[in-house]
Amino acid sequence: MTVTREPDEAPEAGAALAGDESAAVAATPAARLAAYVRGGGVIVPVLTAVLAFLIAGLVMLITGHDPLATYKAIFEGTGIQWIFPWVTGDDRVTAALNLQQTLIITTPLILTGLAVAFAFRAGLFNIGGQGQYIVGTVIAVWVGSSFSGMPALPHIVLCIVLASLAGAAWAGIAGLLKATVGAHEVISTIMLNWIAIWVGVWAFSLSGPLQNDADKSVPVSNDIAEGAKLPVFWGDPALQGLHIGLFIALLAAVVYWVLLNRSTTGYEVRAVGLNPEAARYGGMSVARNYVLVMAVCGLFAGLAGALDILGWQFRLATNDIQAGTVGFTGIAVALLGRNTASGTVAAALLWGALVSGTSQRNLDPTIFEPDLAFNLTTIIQGLVVLFVSADVVVLTLLRRGQGLIPRRRRSAPTAAEEASP
Amino acid sequence: MSILYGLYRPDEGEILKGGEPVQVDSPSRAIELGIGMVHQHFMLVPVMTVMENIVLGDEPRRGGLLDVREGSKRVRELSDRYGLAVDPDSVIEDVTVGTQQRVEILRALYRNARILILDEPTAVLTAQEAAELFEVLRALKKDGVGIVFITHKLNEVLDISDRVTVLRRGKKVETLPTAGQTEQSLARLMVGRDVLLRIEKGSAKPGEPMLEVGDLHVRDDRGLEAVRGVSLTVRAGEIVALAGVDGNGQSELVDAIAGLRHAESGDVVVAGRNVTGRGVRATCDAGVAHIAEDRHTRGLVLGFTLAENLALREYRSEPYSRHGLLSIAKIDAHARELLDEYDVRGGEPGKLASELSGGNQQKVCIAREIASNPQLLIAHQPTRGLDVGAIEFVHRRLVAARDWGRGILLVSLEIEEVRSLADRILVIYEGQIVGEFTPDATEEELGFAMTGGRGDRAAA
Amino acid sequence: MTTAVATVRPALVGARQLGWVGAALGVLAWFITLPPATVRTPVPSLVLAVAAVAAGVLAHREERRLGRGAIAAGVVGGAGAVVATKSGVGNLEDVFVWSALFAAMLRFATPLIFAALGGVICERSGVVNIGLEGMMLMGAFFGIYGADVTGSWISGAIIGMAAGAALALVHAVWSVHLRADQVVSGFSLNLLALGITGYVFIAHYGDQGTPENVPRVPNVTLPLIQDVPFVGDAIGKANLLTWLALLLVPALTIFLFRTPRGLRLRSVGEKPRAAESVGVSVFKTRYAAVIASGCLAALGGVYLSIAFLGSFSQNLTAGRGFIALAAVIFGGWKPWGALGGALLFGFSSALAQRLPTFSEELSVLAQALPYVLTLIVVAGFIGRTRPPASDGIPYSKE
Repeated sequence: MTVTREPDEAPEAGAALAGDESAAVAATPAARLAAYVRGGGVIVPVLTAVLAFLIAGLVMLITGHDPLATYKAIFEGTGIQWIFPWVTGDDRVTAALNLQQTLIITTPLILTGLAVAFAFRAGLFNIGGQGQYIVGTVIAVWVGSSFSGMPALPHIVLCIVLASLAGAAWAGIAGLLKATVGAHEVISTIMLNWIAIWVGVWAFSLSGPLQNDADKSVPVSNDIAEGAKLPVFWGDPALQGLHIGLFIALLAAVVYWVLLNRSTTGYEVRAVGLNPEAARYGGMSVARNYVLVMAVCGLFAGLAGALDILGWQFRLATNDIQAGTVGFTGIAVALLGRNTASGTVAAALLWGALVSGTSQRNLDPTIFEPDLAFNLTTIIQGLVVLFVSADVVVLTLLRRGQGLIPRRRRSAPTAAEEASP
Repeated sequence: MSILYGLYRPDEGEILKGGEPVQVDSPSRAIELGIGMVHQHFMLVPVMTVMENIVLGDEPRRGGLLDVREGSKRVRELSDRYGLAVDPDSVIEDVTVGTQQRVEILRALYRNARILILDEPTAVLTAQEAAELFEVLRALKKDGVGIVFITHKLNEVLDISDRVTVLRRGKKVETLPTAGQTEQSLARLMVGRDVLLRIEKGSAKPGEPMLEVGDLHVRDDRGLEAVRGVSLTVRAGEIVALAGVDGNGQSELVDAIAGLRHAESGDVVVAGRNVTGRGVRATCDAGVAHIAEDRHTRGLVLGFTLAENLALREYRSEPYSRHGLLSIAKIDAHARELLDEYDVRGGEPGKLASELSGGNQQKVCIAREIASNPQLLIAHQPTRGLDVGAIEFVHRRLVAARDWGRGILLVSLEIEEVRSLADRILVIYEGQIVGEFTPDATEEELGFAMTGGRGDRAAA
Repeated sequence: MTTAVATVRPALVGARQLGWVGAALGVLAWFITLPPATVRTPVPSLVLAVAAVAAGVLAHREERRLGRGAIAAGVVGGAGAVVATKSGVGNLEDVFVWSALFAAMLRFATPLIFAALGGVICERSGVVNIGLEGMMLMGAFFGIYGADVTGSWISGAIIGMAAGAALALVHAVWSVHLRADQVVSGFSLNLLALGITGYVFIAHYGDQGTPENVPRVPNVTLPLIQDVPFVGDAIGKANLLTWLALLLVPALTIFLFRTPRGLRLRSVGEKPRAAESVGVSVFKTRYAAVIASGCLAALGGVYLSIAFLGSFSQNLTAGRGFIALAAVIFGGWKPWGALGGALLFGFSSALAQRLPTFSEELSVLAQALPYVLTLIVVAGFIGRTRPPASDGIPYSKE
């Protein structure tokens, strides 16, 4: 028996050994997330976050804590109630202080979030935000504590520019390795993180090259010059008021949006992320884009480091370097924010609130131990990333169920097409 | 067919075997029932040996370990029995496509298949290899094996089959004894109307050379020389077809001309400008447009909108962008124009490319390439996977571009397409141009040249 | 199409051997200036180093990466030799006590070997496992927690492995069933493990930390070998789990390359559709492989907490899972290769640990050494090794 059939719409016809996997290869993480952004809107990420908080509440319940009271205490620790006009008197003063803390923490998270998001849009996974951030802080503290005679504005600009460039160079290593020898950016950025951590610790350690001049028994840097500190526009500078770095971060988010959606560079980056082979076919250099993208990511993360140092930290201790998680949190921020500018800002605010609400300073230890709360935020973070990695699929299934997108394998040609001239 | 083999599940209906209804819900069940399948894309693991691929899932064991010697012995026995000449110890990625196909057949026989399903088995074979395959199939038939042979090549149907079932859009049209059928009668059943085999076109008026390729040598991904000293010329206002069996260096040659692949030596001159080794962008700037072989992996960014896809060639130049910033309005307007002109059904500039059917996707690719106003248009399998209506559309556009004075290099695996479109036909075989023909050349003449023009090439 | 591809292999043997000889010469250049030889003049080392570089240059023409490696070995070996000849013999002898270094290398390498073997199984089945770090951490905490609660290290180890397997199960569901991006889901598991272990650790042990007297995995004292010089110090008292790790390497090699199940697992990682077409279940195989990798990685964590340290602190694994991952890649997705990677990284950690004799700050800097090494390896050698073809690509039946 022999069966004939007409040439159908099989896109893979002709390839011999490539196999069906080739179709799957085309679905880069960026491509999947793009599909997701278009279909998901705001509801899915909000649900994702809510679900993570629910599960974390369950963990509290199991371990004998009252989740409602805890979340209430955490919320009060964030100071967000400041926006409610009925909060008055001492409560309002405390809320203002707490909200300043929240926004101070949000500032670098916006930037490290962008550092991850930009890479994602190019199909790269930048796990190295932490290392790039550390490099930024180290350079900022070094430049900020040198040149003490400089006028304020040029000093600040110099710090910010050099720290950002250092972050860009650090991330650029991973981009360069990816572009030239094909080293996977996940591995190389992880390694660069650890190298940055240990080199940073070494720099400020006892008898390290950048250790402070005053007390040689403490592994900490010199303070930065008064003039290099960022102006505080809300609250008392002596009590860690809110510095203008927030506006720089928000500006960076705007730049990110324009760069990605309205520039030829962004067009290339997105094309490379969605389909590198088509990008090459369109005349773009995929390798060049990898280097460029990673460098821009490092620029964002390095800037985050500079703002933290110039805005409120003013010095760097070896502990800060080892215990910091700002760069890692950027991954959850970017994923929850769908790698979009506005989403990243919103997710950064959520995380800023969570971190400040659970901090030693803001969380009432009689209700919930801050040490526990710190780990709880890590769990929530993990859950969010976990859910985001899967809800791409959930969404695809949803849409497929509604018949909104054609099935991947064989879309039957329409009757209209058959009749076309 | 995949349902029959248990890879997909049927929505409804039943499968009968020997008159009994059976459930084929997994490949292992199909194997139990004696159904074997030779897939269009071979289901082989490239880095493993022939023996490992054949015994996979049903391995001879000795003391918990894989019995390599026993496996090789059994494979050799089977191979000898049907005259397949396959070495069990060679690695799949080192052997020819024809041999790989035999490994697929052996794998089914190893599992005592009594029904063998072959899905487009000759698509990747040379004429010689196909003839050998037919010998093997006849031997199997004599041995009592039932064979389901899926193909869209009509001459093969007439050559090998006893009965033929024509399917259209997933429905059976008719089952007939093969005897008494002709290519025309089968073709009518397949498409439901007479196929327009020849496109109306005037004679070519060749002008200046638009593409001159001189003694080009190119290596493939595995580092082997795939293009070995090709020289050709395409003039303005003519369609030059490059005909050949798949895998004879066409892809590498096209990539090298388009600047996507490094050429070892030789020259590519486009409209008088030498663009050898200058990369894609410089080549395009010199006036080359390139309808890519595979619209999914290359021609389109499926996650981009149609407007973004249509800007892929010109996004960097005015008016589509200025000072590095995109002009969305201009890009959208341009896209709307092209989608209209090329009759892309359901094509809105803001729609994702992945949401279109294959034919319409191809129209988008063609629209973009022709709109870039090239001196030379490379059309690499431009009708692959399209239905008859869409094929006609593409052919008309190519002829129109020719009449506009473009030079067109058509690379195709379909002899019919080559003969109906081309003004001159070059045949490529193993990386070399082995002959030049006029469109009047017969299918036999072309086929003979495409397979090396001699019949003594035994499989390695 | 029909050309005999198999016969066109150029004769690379000469270049490859030359490359390895060059690399060996580079190492030798350094080695002769260290105890016990302790040559006090750099001249012979420099001759060796130049020879190494020359061999590298020659080999470079055909074996690019290996050639580069040999050149690097020559340069580094020569530099190391110059530094060593300028240092005091006493210091050198303090640092380079080979038997102690070897024993320390095994100690540092053991958790890496477990996790790396887990990584090999997992990635051979086609699932990328960035979550090794988290699975180790789960094993480390729940291992000591289990040992503390039950009073037995065996049940501690089992509980630790179960915890790692549980985390791996999540990875399996996500990457196999939900077809999630495996790098992202693996990364999330690291965060989850960090949070979960930290939370339970604080909730259960608070500020006190784990108790001093948790049951430990015993060391194996080899009566005959114990007193042999060098060998005795090096392996005479190695931990039970170290031996287990070393035994697992050939065991896994046989499993992967000599058994039907190994063949199926590899086929699933290379070309799942082909495996499915002959009735091998891609889902089951990947589930089994991911969970097995969770158990193995967790065992590495168990070693850290109840064999090596006897205590737990938050984020105890501190990136070892990532080094194990690098060892997998370094070793070309093969068990023996992964062992080589783990030993190399173990050695650099052991060296860093002994360096404070020279200088306190240098030893801090040396902590970065394994990561630098990994980066160099990933940059220099990764192109030569080939990952399983379907590594990281979700499989759908449809």
